[in-house]
Amino acid sequence: MNTFLVSARHEMLNTRRARTAHILLIVFIGMVIASSVIGWVTNETVTGVYEKVVADGLTTAPNPFAGVSPLYYARNAVIYVLLIGSLMAIVLGVQATLRDRKAATVDLVLSRPVATPARLLGQLAGLSVVLAAVITISFSVSWLIISIINGAPLGWDDTGRVIAFGLLSWVLLTIFALLGMLTGLRSKQETTALLVPFVIWSAVAFVLPQIGTAARPVSLLNPVPAVASTGGYFDVVSAFTGPLSVTEQFKFASSIILHDPNVTGEATVSILILLAFLIVMSVVVVLTPRNRMRSGLHE
Amino acid sequence: MSSTWVIAGKELLDLRRDRLFAVLIGFLAIATLISVGVAAASFGTELDAYNLYVQQLAASGSTTAPAAPQLFPLQLLRGGVEYLEILGALFAIVLGYGTVAKEKYRGTLQLLLSRPVGRFAIPAGKVLGLAVVWLVVVAVLTLLTTLAILVIGSAPLQGIDLVRILIGAVVAWVYLVFWSSLAIGITALSPRLSTGLIVSIVVWLAFVLIIPQIGDTMDPDNQVPGGLFAALQIQKPDELKVLANFAAFDGIRNGLEVSSITKHFERLSFAFLGIKDKYNQLPLGLVWADMWGYAITLAAAAFASVTFAVGVTTRRNLQRKIS
Repeated sequence: MNTFLVSARHEMLNTRRARTAHILLIVFIGMVIASSVIGWVTNETVTGVYEKVVADGLTTAPNPFAGVSPLYYARNAVIYVLLIGSLMAIVLGVQATLRDRKAATVDLVLSRPVATPARLLGQLAGLSVVLAAVITISFSVSWLIISIINGAPLGWDDTGRVIAFGLLSWVLLTIFALLGMLTGLRSKQETTALLVPFVIWSAVAFVLPQIGTAARPVSLLNPVPAVASTGGYFDVVSAFTGPLSVTEQFKFASSIILHDPNVTGEATVSILILLAFLIVMSVVVVLTPRNRMRSGLHE
Repeated sequence: MSSTWVIAGKELLDLRRDRLFAVLIGFLAIATLISVGVAAASFGTELDAYNLYVQQLAASGSTTAPAAPQLFPLQLLRGGVEYLEILGALFAIVLGYGTVAKEKYRGTLQLLLSRPVGRFAIPAGKVLGLAVVWLVVVAVLTLLTTLAILVIGSAPLQGIDLVRILIGAVVAWVYLVFWSSLAIGITALSPRLSTGLIVSIVVWLAFVLIIPQIGDTMDPDNQVPGGLFAALQIQKPDELKVLANFAAFDGIRNGLEVSSITKHFERLSFAFLGIKDKYNQLPLGLVWADMWGYAITLAAAAFASVTFAVGVTTRRNLQRKIS
């Protein structure tokens, strides 16, 4: 078996054995599944609120939730992917590259005729398979729950949209896994390796969107987009910060894919931005020099 | 000087020399200042839109103008409070973890334990050291944000506003000490150091992000951009009357929110700073009458967290670390 496949298999085996990774995997799968139930209960209540408002003669406005897609119940999953999923991917990525450095097994591995790009790509492939498996399990159960709530299996179109959302989630999680791998390779301390990607994640998820749209950090955790400030300063700044706000691009594209009535537009640009990040991050990780992989930790 | 004070002094010295600490606090300060600047810019945009609207009304011959948007300076702090509740808690965990982890990594733990230190001296000294550090950090952040309101926001502050800011600072300090102490305890209990950090972060994820997020997304008014009731053009009294029919659902939603210590911090800060409209410009006595329960639970949680850290950071737990 070649380096790539051995590394990929080894990475999957290690993740299966890592208990801390299991905690995050269970939390992620549980929350994605729970999100459908939360979405359904909330939608039932809001419909009840609307009917009460109409019965009391307080409004003549149409029901904003009339005829929403069954996929509406899955919209909370978008938030859990970028909250729990991203952090899980970071931890898996950091552990993948840091493990070898901590145990000094990288010296042994690199003493063999092993090309570093093949080794790193193999590790990335192993992580990608783990992430794909997690997404497949959680979204399959989510599909089943939505079908039960809906009283019939989701149609081909909606099923296709769930698959597209799963693929996009995989792209986002792989980007963050790559970020974790990068800091695992570059950091001098274990704490820094874990912490730096968390800080970058929080800057991308909260600070960048706020600078460009004045959205409050907490409101960014709501799948319903906040009303963005526009004009003057905000138009100029959001032109720069918007493409860098990977998590917001993911939220936007996912909402379009899931037929969220609150979000309109084309998802193509956002998807391309996410793919561009995936490619750039992959190249940066794969080009890590051999001596960097062998550097020791200072703690 | 007692052992506790010596260890607290050592923590202060360590953190003063720690580049990671400087980077984290610098990041928090910059994010907080940016949030004040962005909030001020957002208000400026709103004011420009209002002035344009009034000009257009005047040009069309109308004599009635809608009320102008009003700036309440302390409301510019909303983003900063939210950064403290999310990022502040995360950094507090990192510092709490670091105080235990560094002793093991550097090999100073055995040296420390070879000295005649009391049973509680090490954890109490570490908690005390971090409490002093957070006091200084919160004081600096408070000073910076107050200056930012005056300079970036160009908003005047009254004496009562400064008192409100001071109360907000005390609440933030208690909240941050809670998270640092919790991380010390969890790290001391974890057989592997990295496990201590990851478990602490999972706790942070659950109580700072997930639980409040579920409560927030279950709120009927948060279902459409700009608010459901605003979209349906329903006034506040009618909104409350309608929601009274869904008390059970709201009880579950609120119950979920208040099971998170973060919501106690947020509600207290928003009330005393007048960020939440209901409490804006309300006398402090009336705010306290409504909020004392949150103040007590936050203080009790911080006390429990400190007790947990001091209780579980034993010689045996510290020495059984694998790596």
